[in-house]
Amino acid sequence: MAHSFENPTQIVEALDRSQYVAEEEFATALFLLLRLHKPLLVEGPPGVGKTEIAPVLAALLDTELIRLQCYEGLDVNAAVYEWNYQKQLLGIRLQEGSGLSIEEKEKHIFGHEYLLERPLLRSIMAKTKPPVLLIDELDRSDEEFEAFLLELLSAFQISIPEMGTIRAKHKPFVILTSNRTRELSDALKRRCLYHWIDYPGLEKEMKIVKKHLPAIEESLLVQIVNEVQKLRQRKLIKTPGVSETIDWAESLLALGYRELNTVAFDKTLGCILKSAEDISQVKKERADIML
Amino acid sequence: MIKILEMIKQQAFAARSLTESIVAFTEFARSHGMNIGVQETRDALSSAACGLLANRDQFRSALQAIFCHSPQEIRLFEKLFHLYWDTNPIDLHETRSQTSVSGKMEKRTNASLVMLGMANTDNKKEDAKDITGASDEERLKKTDFSKLGTMETGILAEIALKLFHQMALRLRRRMKDNLLGGQINLRRTIRRSIGYGGEPIDLLRKTQRPKKTRLIVLLDVSGSMDKYSYFLLLFICALREHFRQLEAFVFSTVLIRISKALSHGRVDQVLSIISDQADNWSGGTRIGSSLQQFNEKYGREMLNGSPTIIILSDGLDTGSPELLSIELKKMKRRSKRIIWLNPLKGSRGYKPTAGGMQAALPELDEFMSANNLQCLIELENILADA
Repeated sequence: MAHSFENPTQIVEALDRSQYVAEEEFATALFLLLRLHKPLLVEGPPGVGKTEIAPVLAALLDTELIRLQCYEGLDVNAAVYEWNYQKQLLGIRLQEGSGLSIEEKEKHIFGHEYLLERPLLRSIMAKTKPPVLLIDELDRSDEEFEAFLLELLSAFQISIPEMGTIRAKHKPFVILTSNRTRELSDALKRRCLYHWIDYPGLEKEMKIVKKHLPAIEESLLVQIVNEVQKLRQRKLIKTPGVSETIDWAESLLALGYRELNTVAFDKTLGCILKSAEDISQVKKERADIML
Repeated sequence: MIKILEMIKQQAFAARSLTESIVAFTEFARSHGMNIGVQETRDALSSAACGLLANRDQFRSALQAIFCHSPQEIRLFEKLFHLYWDTNPIDLHETRSQTSVSGKMEKRTNASLVMLGMANTDNKKEDAKDITGASDEERLKKTDFSKLGTMETGILAEIALKLFHQMALRLRRRMKDNLLGGQINLRRTIRRSIGYGGEPIDLLRKTQRPKKTRLIVLLDVSGSMDKYSYFLLLFICALREHFRQLEAFVFSTVLIRISKALSHGRVDQVLSIISDQADNWSGGTRIGSSLQQFNEKYGREMLNGSPTIIILSDGLDTGSPELLSIELKKMKRRSKRIIWLNPLKGSRGYKPTAGGMQAALPELDEFMSANNLQCLIELENILADA
């Protein structure tokens, strides 16, 4: 249960056991999320483990993870609920001649069995314990949708005109992520706790890679992480995140390399740099150094 | 408990209880520009009640998660936290104004200052008064970009971002409404309804496919445009939010395509990319030959499907007016319309007599001023049906 954590340090340790490396600062934010039941907004560059924290937290709390991926044009029908129109019409047909009054029919047609639950509604209808709700990449959705979220995030309730207001029996633990491609509204931010995850330092990144790939040799690990940290200092179109580092290390292991030499570097550069311009630029510079 | 008591003692505070000192801290943070309300104060107190007080770092992290909403605020918070809990409260009053000024200054980037030709201007700290009054905002909106001071530029840039954003949002909404209209297409509706036993569930409508207008923006970044370029660039960025198919170029003597840089990120990034690439940044202008480059290099792929073209330039051309006229004619033939925004047009007594401008005028569909925010926002009406 959520209340088994007595202080942030315990969360750090528990996360560590679940292969997630976090500082105490982040753990404190998570601790408050569990205690105050306020949503937590996590921002940071791509690939630093913003989304990753949600499944880990759900596993820690031994509860369900409900995920909503945001995209441009996401609307209430896709995020909250929709009536199953076809089923409703069939229902009307079936009731013909059943002798029920109009009110009874209507009540039946707008009952729970005709309701298609989408992630947000599902998150507040949990029966036994609070789920973890992940609202991923919120910055991709439209402002209109963000405004809609306000009701859910502050009161944990959703109004459906035909049914009335549904209040959460178990308030979900909400984690929102954003890549800052646009600024989120102040109203939304003020309802959330906030944490900024940055690219990890050398030691933390080595620890993370090691967690994911326990078999990796120390010398290769040092080489890889050093190289990535250097790449991040440069002006690239797409700066590699931690997930890229892990991919890269995994590829090198799979190919059987025990050190990062020029051949290995050139062959696997696509794991870490995801833009043709970046790759050719880095390759060219390396060639220049060789000469 | 002992630890907590020690902590209070250390502060040498007049405040009697821990609750009071936390509340006092929130007030302190608020007075230094952090956006904190009653709810945050309450959360801070309940976090203290959760037992987070025993550890100083945990207490700081907790308050940070509650009070901050952006990376900038985190930086400010760190300073304030240190200032409040680690220093003697008697010193606080003198340092106060200092911090609020430095917090503000960080927001502005060097790139924008360079662009405005103001990199060398002194930033006098006494000017740092926040201008928030509605009348001041209105005044700034109508102020010529070239007549702004450094402080005002920063404030106006923030206002501009807000207004441009609203404008882009309005433009987008208008398009969405249009999508909903249209007559019901009975034939197809009935055909579809067979699957549902004859009930017309999906109403299919006859609508025209939304025409995707493409927008091509050409921005003059020569020396004479220095003071305007930054805001015009902000404006282009905002337009990009609405017109997904936007191609943007900057030119002085050579033409550089910045569409890609724009799609990657923010204005400041774009600025640095531009200044990296443009050697003769802020030199003289050759509009005619720049347009020629555009026609030769990009005309074929971009001037189809009648795009709208916006040229942002003061028309002070050092090249030949004949060439400009010829190239504009070429562009006109293949575009829906050409809009020329001239910052100088807004100034009193201006007549488009400069050689270049005079040659261009007959080919233009719209000739408008663009010397202050108001003018740029008014463009919305023209672009709405573009």
